[in-house]
Amino acid sequence: MSIAARPRSSIWAYRFLIQNFAQRDLKSRFKGTLLGWAWSLMVPLATLTTYSLVFSVFFHSTAPNFGNGRTGFFAVWLLVGLIPWNFFLITILISMPTLLANGTLLQKVYFPSYVPVLGAALAILVQTLIECCILAVVLLVFGNIGPTWLLFPVWLALFVVFVTALALSLAIVNIHVRDLAQMVNVALTLLFFLTPIIYQISLVPTVWHGIPFQELVRLSPITDFVTSLRQLAYDLQEPDLTAWLQLLAWTAGAVALAYFVYQRYGLDIGESV
Amino acid sequence: MSSYAIRAENLSKRFWLNAERHTSLKARVVRGKLPRGHEFWALRDASFEIERGSTFGLVGQNGSGKSTTLKVLAGIYRPTSGSVVVDGRVSALLELGSGFHGDLTGRENIRLNGAILGLTGKQVDAAMDKILDFAGIGEFIDLPVKIYSSGMFVRLAFAIAVSLDPEILMVDEVIAVGDEEFQRKCFDHLFDLRKRGTTIVLVTHSLGLIRDMCDQAMWLEHGQIRKLGPAMEVADSYLADINEREVQAHQVSGGEESAANESKRLGSGEVRITSLEFLDGEGKPNPVLLAGAPCTIRMHYVAHEPVSHVIFGIGFLHESGANVSGPNSGRQGSWSLAPGSGYVDFVIDELLLQPATYRVSTAIVDRGHTYDYADREFDLHVRGRGNQEPGLTRMPGTFNDPVRVTQMAPTSASTLENLRAE
Repeated sequence: MSIAARPRSSIWAYRFLIQNFAQRDLKSRFKGTLLGWAWSLMVPLATLTTYSLVFSVFFHSTAPNFGNGRTGFFAVWLLVGLIPWNFFLITILISMPTLLANGTLLQKVYFPSYVPVLGAALAILVQTLIECCILAVVLLVFGNIGPTWLLFPVWLALFVVFVTALALSLAIVNIHVRDLAQMVNVALTLLFFLTPIIYQISLVPTVWHGIPFQELVRLSPITDFVTSLRQLAYDLQEPDLTAWLQLLAWTAGAVALAYFVYQRYGLDIGESV
Repeated sequence: MSSYAIRAENLSKRFWLNAERHTSLKARVVRGKLPRGHEFWALRDASFEIERGSTFGLVGQNGSGKSTTLKVLAGIYRPTSGSVVVDGRVSALLELGSGFHGDLTGRENIRLNGAILGLTGKQVDAAMDKILDFAGIGEFIDLPVKIYSSGMFVRLAFAIAVSLDPEILMVDEVIAVGDEEFQRKCFDHLFDLRKRGTTIVLVTHSLGLIRDMCDQAMWLEHGQIRKLGPAMEVADSYLADINEREVQAHQVSGGEESAANESKRLGSGEVRITSLEFLDGEGKPNPVLLAGAPCTIRMHYVAHEPVSHVIFGIGFLHESGANVSGPNSGRQGSWSLAPGSGYVDFVIDELLLQPATYRVSTAIVDRGHTYDYADREFDLHVRGRGNQEPGLTRMPGTFNDPVRVTQMAPTSASTLENLRAE
């Protein structure tokens, strides 16, 4: 048994530091670039345009109708799915090397290793919120607004906690297993196409050569989060209780994983990096 | 609040040393379970207490566990066993500027560092002017720190660490950087912090600093406490130990120096210095001489031909290259030497050199002609008895009591104080 010289503080006590890390991330990310902040919107916009062009124009994919009864618009429907996916993707990708990048700092001063990861996630959340505002404006233009929007903060809270917890676990394990980042990269590409973001889940064959594909796609937590956001923002339908419980379960699972990984591997980062 | 700022009990820290610290998944799959490597105890069973408001020094040779101890106290490392309780807000200065982000400006880095130390934005802003003033880097504060000179880095880092009002300050020998003026400013500030009741933990190789600043000190050797107690006593024992080691080391390797490297020698070579011998006050050969004591330097020579009008000279050079002194026998006339070997003694009543290692050159000349010149071929080790002055040599003299020339009103005295402060 040993007692370390560390303050017994909660995440709340480190809020200023987390905020500072987030500011640092935001400031340094676009420093020295020509368009600066505009880049944070250019990239998702380019993705949206490309996918819309390829799937809606070339492949003739269609989107379901808006919740208010209007004919569906593929780009808008896609945007609702891309926003949560991008938050998930970028948070994981940026968080994984962040402990290594802050290695010298972690060796010289004590602060919990989750701080830089939460800071990175916070910085990305800021961008995601801007994207959400743009989405809201677009949906307003289509007149697609309803009381289910009020559930958005609840959905967002669950999603942010889920993604951040997952990112923290991966970032810590990445310190000990350095090629995890490459593996995750590959896995994320696969996951993108196995999640109903650019297609409707109804297009997935229920069984194909004995493989229950639709069930498999439904198994992914990202599918649950994307589907429920589309329900409440696009379809203007309230996700049922089972869906909410499922989201809650995923979030709780991710937090439990992050807690375990942090307690087991995250306390000695200062000597492992 | 207890009277102790830091209390450590049976503190141990073990590291696993293996060649590959970071493993890839491939390695794990291919080789199965990883070997744990060798264990290494950087710190073993150390118990000590640091009183609130006192200054605590950590000494020891490189690799003795000083920095590990500091990192455990700062919370960066968790001890393998034992406990440490630190009561107060810690500001650790383990490596200057390590908490800086190159792309951010000095001002932004101050905010970041303040947050790391657990301060709120308001608290940092309140200290901002003080930091800017102390760092004194002017308009650079609003430029990215990656363009700073190393001196500016040091100034900013030190300014941050000491200005954010820490309750416990941990310093790892970083003050030895920066220009003379800034160093003095740092020390003044450390003294000031100490006066105000800040607990300071200092890792240093400078025994002078331990004596001047510290109340208590701990001497570590191979991760274990060799001595713990009043700073003066610990510094003296540590110094005595170093001296003893040095003497032993030179007795083992001694004699090798006498094999003069003929090829490197300058001069016509009719007569050569073969070796130098250092004799202490009692006339016994001793590779390490004591500062302030009498001693003799015996120059052994061999003359291959008869020579006349020769003058012997010795030059003492500090490691830094400074020529400290160069006595020669010219003032006492010159000698003629018959073929054969012999020696000339240079008798020193009181060795004025301060403790250090000096390179010694010898020369045998006849006015313009050089018979033999050994350029920095020998080493002279001078050790002290404690209580040393700074500098390369002592300056004998006495200070008389102050003599007042004019009288001054008390108000102008404080003006003078201000002037001095600037």
